[in-house]
Amino acid sequence: MIAIRNLSMRLSSGGREVSILDDITLEVPAKQFLAIVGPSGSGKSTLLGLIAGMDAPTAGIIALDGRDITNLSEDELARLRREKVGYVFQSFHLIPTLTARENVAVPLELAGDHEAVHKADALLRAVGLEARGHHYPAQLSGGEQQRVAVARAFANRPAILLADEPTGNLDTATGQQVIDLLIRLNHDHGSTLVLVTHDQTLAAYADRVIRLLDGRIASDELRSPAFGAHP
Amino acid sequence: MSLLPNCMALRLAWRETRADWRRFTYFFVCIALGVAALVGVGLFAANMDRAIQREARGLLAADVELRTARPLTPEGETILARFDGRGIARMHVSELVAMAAASAGTQLIELKAVEPGYPFYGKLRADPEDAPAALFGGSQVLAGETLLIRLGLKVGDRLKIGQADFRIAGVLKKEPDRAAGAFSFGPRVLMSGQSLDATQLVQPGSRVTHRYLFKLPEALSPRAVQGELASTFPDKTLRVSTYQESQPILRRFLRQLTMYLGLVGLIALMVGGIGVAGSVRAFLKEKLETIAVLKALGAESRTILQVYFTQTLLLGLVGSLAGAALGAALQIALPPLVKTWLTIDLEFQFAWLPFVRGVAMGLLTTALFSLWPLLEVRHVRPNLIFRREVSEEPAGSPGRAAWIAGALLALALAGLALWQAGSWRAAGLFIGALVAALGLLQGAAWLAVRLARFIAGARAPIGMGSDAPAPRARAGRAGRSLSLPGLSLIWRQGLANLYRPGSQAKTILVSVGVGVMVILAIHLVERNILWEIGENIPADAPSFFFIDIQPDQKDAFARLMAERGHADIRLTPLVRSRLWALNGKPVRRENHEEREHDWYYTREYVLTFQEGLPKDNVVVKGQWWDSPGSSGHMRVSVEEEAAHRLGLDLGSTVAFDIQGATVSGTVTSIRKVEWGNMSTNFYFIFEPGALDGAPMTYVATARVNPTEEVPLQRAVVAAFPNVSAINIRDVLDSVARVVDRISLVIRFMAGLSILAGSVVLAGALAATRFRRIYEAMILKAVGATRGTVAGIFAVEYALLGAAAGVIGTGLAVALAWGVGRWILDVKWLFQPAALAWGIAATMAGTILVGFLSTYRILGQKPLPVLRRE
Repeated sequence: MIAIRNLSMRLSSGGREVSILDDITLEVPAKQFLAIVGPSGSGKSTLLGLIAGMDAPTAGIIALDGRDITNLSEDELARLRREKVGYVFQSFHLIPTLTARENVAVPLELAGDHEAVHKADALLRAVGLEARGHHYPAQLSGGEQQRVAVARAFANRPAILLADEPTGNLDTATGQQVIDLLIRLNHDHGSTLVLVTHDQTLAAYADRVIRLLDGRIASDELRSPAFGAHP
Repeated sequence: MSLLPNCMALRLAWRETRADWRRFTYFFVCIALGVAALVGVGLFAANMDRAIQREARGLLAADVELRTARPLTPEGETILARFDGRGIARMHVSELVAMAAASAGTQLIELKAVEPGYPFYGKLRADPEDAPAALFGGSQVLAGETLLIRLGLKVGDRLKIGQADFRIAGVLKKEPDRAAGAFSFGPRVLMSGQSLDATQLVQPGSRVTHRYLFKLPEALSPRAVQGELASTFPDKTLRVSTYQESQPILRRFLRQLTMYLGLVGLIALMVGGIGVAGSVRAFLKEKLETIAVLKALGAESRTILQVYFTQTLLLGLVGSLAGAALGAALQIALPPLVKTWLTIDLEFQFAWLPFVRGVAMGLLTTALFSLWPLLEVRHVRPNLIFRREVSEEPAGSPGRAAWIAGALLALALAGLALWQAGSWRAAGLFIGALVAALGLLQGAAWLAVRLARFIAGARAPIGMGSDAPAPRARAGRAGRSLSLPGLSLIWRQGLANLYRPGSQAKTILVSVGVGVMVILAIHLVERNILWEIGENIPADAPSFFFIDIQPDQKDAFARLMAERGHADIRLTPLVRSRLWALNGKPVRRENHEEREHDWYYTREYVLTFQEGLPKDNVVVKGQWWDSPGSSGHMRVSVEEEAAHRLGLDLGSTVAFDIQGATVSGTVTSIRKVEWGNMSTNFYFIFEPGALDGAPMTYVATARVNPTEEVPLQRAVVAAFPNVSAINIRDVLDSVARVVDRISLVIRFMAGLSILAGSVVLAGALAATRFRRIYEAMILKAVGATRGTVAGIFAVEYALLGAAAGVIGTGLAVALAWGVGRWILDVKWLFQPAALAWGIAATMAGTILVGFLSTYRILGQKPLPVLRRE
């Protein structure tokens, strides 16, 4: 589970401090599907990034499975992500010089998995891209790239799956495919899923919706019992 | 299309530079280093030239000099006497190699005997200052400091030279007419002509250089006297020179040295040019969006090109000026490096010519190397801003205008290079070789990148943009690549960094490869020279030469040596001569002065006669005289190379002038000689009897244990004061020292091109910085540790270094071989250890510079980087 206490993030921009996140406290139980919504600049993506340990907060504590990650070193954070966290970016961020299969295999290889390539094929099959494994990102469509990114995020069966506007760069139909995929993984494998979106229809699938406004939690609404509403 | 800027372009260029000047650090340093090298050498050469002009009279110590290797005949003396009484002052200077002995031991020295009034020009310096006056009062000498140190003497002590004893009147500090001590047999000793007679060192056949110095009254032109002397003396082996042409060897040596230094400096500039191209390309890549916006707002390609071309030239100008200033500062470093073998006082004076030339070359290089990347601006499409994915490189050929402009700039640059070198032939050859080397480097770099792709099993074409190629095209390629599934992530990523779109690998390979090539080639040539002159001495080579043994001392000398356990010494007769006629046609010195290999015509030949074929000699043509020959022509055996150069074959006749008498022979055999065996070797060997009656001396060679060297030397000098013992090890040591000093200067200049190469490397890596950070952060985001990212970088840099090392080393071998074969005429020695070192050092250097340029990436946090996308 994810526990966040009094989390603040301030950045200096052009010589003055800008508050991105302001005193956020939040608990996400294991296996929950949480959607974080809010307008642009409300701090959604920053919050998600901080949960993944991809930046250090100005103040506050983030604990994953009871372990505070805010004091971990860069490398400890990297290992933590490798073991526990899968991350899907809005703009995919696939490595352009690696094929789809190799991109998916990267986290597995980092974890020292000898069957990385084999497993990557299985993951690609799971996202319906078994035929595209040898293609480079630039040779794939946006939807395909994002499915590869989801497969990569899920490669190590992480307990926590974080998705930052995963459909933001996709058309509706393709976006729907990706979101179905994420929800299925959340269900089938019991991963905690945190989804950042400004799309209300996507948020509707979630067990719980948090609305951020100017770096603060404006509302926190539990839609239904866990695993309840699912399309 | 005009590239000349208008006001708007200038304004925009200034704004761009003002906002982004930090980006141009590498650009700036690249140009500055190259220009610094050129201006440094240019100013150095100018100062050196000026110093020689200033000291010209002093360098000869006279207005006119007549130089000969043998004493003047009475007839010659009469001719000389004719010049007296026209206000011309004259003196005789003798120079020879001799032995000095003191209680502490013996030492080979270079002896010079002068007459009162020496020198006519320049200053003789000694410590104490009035010591030179003592030369002509009683048996006193001036001795070089090294002699005092080696023999443990001080001023006032006594020294034995030849048959006479001398008091050391002072320390010899400087002789004006001894500027180029590039090679020296030993410490210098100065005495009077009278004292030299007392030593009895000058015997018939002794190796003495006689110089007759003339001081002319104002009204007489040195050239006229020179002409008169040259035409009245029957002996064409005399050399008459005026102060205007004094120290021709020194002058030629310095001219060649500065020419080579200038060419090495040019390499630094070319490497800098590669860096400029890389910087400009990287800068424009970041500016693609700006350019697209400018175009969307209605700016024409020409305007945009003007903006960036103006900006580039301005930066090039500033960089060139800074480099020229640095070049002037190099004058602090260069003269001390040459000081040890040059006694000319160099004083720094600023000269405009090298300065302006250097700045012009910097600007032209900037223009030439930035033109290509800049012209790609024209292919940027305005719709670029509407897409997030930016194609890596704007496609399209530079067009005809670019080719023409490029050719013109290249021509202008080549012209300046020729001007800098001062020799059309050398500079032309050099530029040709450099262009060929750059071409080869480009080709090799391209191959290396292809190879990396092949090994990594990549299937996408290089330079893939947002337009994905059709799957069919890829399927075709798949069969031709080597897929190594076992390749770990670190290796695969490191390899991929070499061939990825926008990779700077080729730039790095070329620029680092050039640097490696130059430095290593210099090293290889140096090693070959040293090996040729010393390191290949066979185990049974003699360690001592005893020279100037008179015929009447021959038996006593052999006895002395036998008593001391050296029964195996070889005594070889030597007869000094000059080439007189070939096949009956007289050899005229002046016909061969300027010709290549003229040396074979004009040099002094040491002849010998011998019964049997000398050791290490092989007859390759004809027959050795095993049976007595018919009367009439004497038989002579010629060394292979000399026969080739002089056009001699079996049956040719060759005549020598031996102190006025002519001896001729018919060539009956041609020999191959192992010159490196350190024994007495000869170009011409006559059959016994042919040289009877000629003035001759004997040379003895002996192998002596190091512990025996000093006692033996002392015994020989005591018994035969006129005999000089030459320790081969000492001679080789001093040759090695000079070679070392010269190559140090060249290496110093070559170091600038290595430095430029490092800057290009750092700049090229910095250009890919954004990409690197981005990918490193993706890897971190999915769980890679800093170690993994560092590992990927290390693999990339090591591979780059290895490839650059291998390519540069290969070209260095070719270059060194060519220089050795065609310029220096030395044998080729393959040196695997030096090559392995070259590759290893390149790898280490590349990894080091790579990490220094990128280690900060490792500590970055992923989120800020990835969010910025």
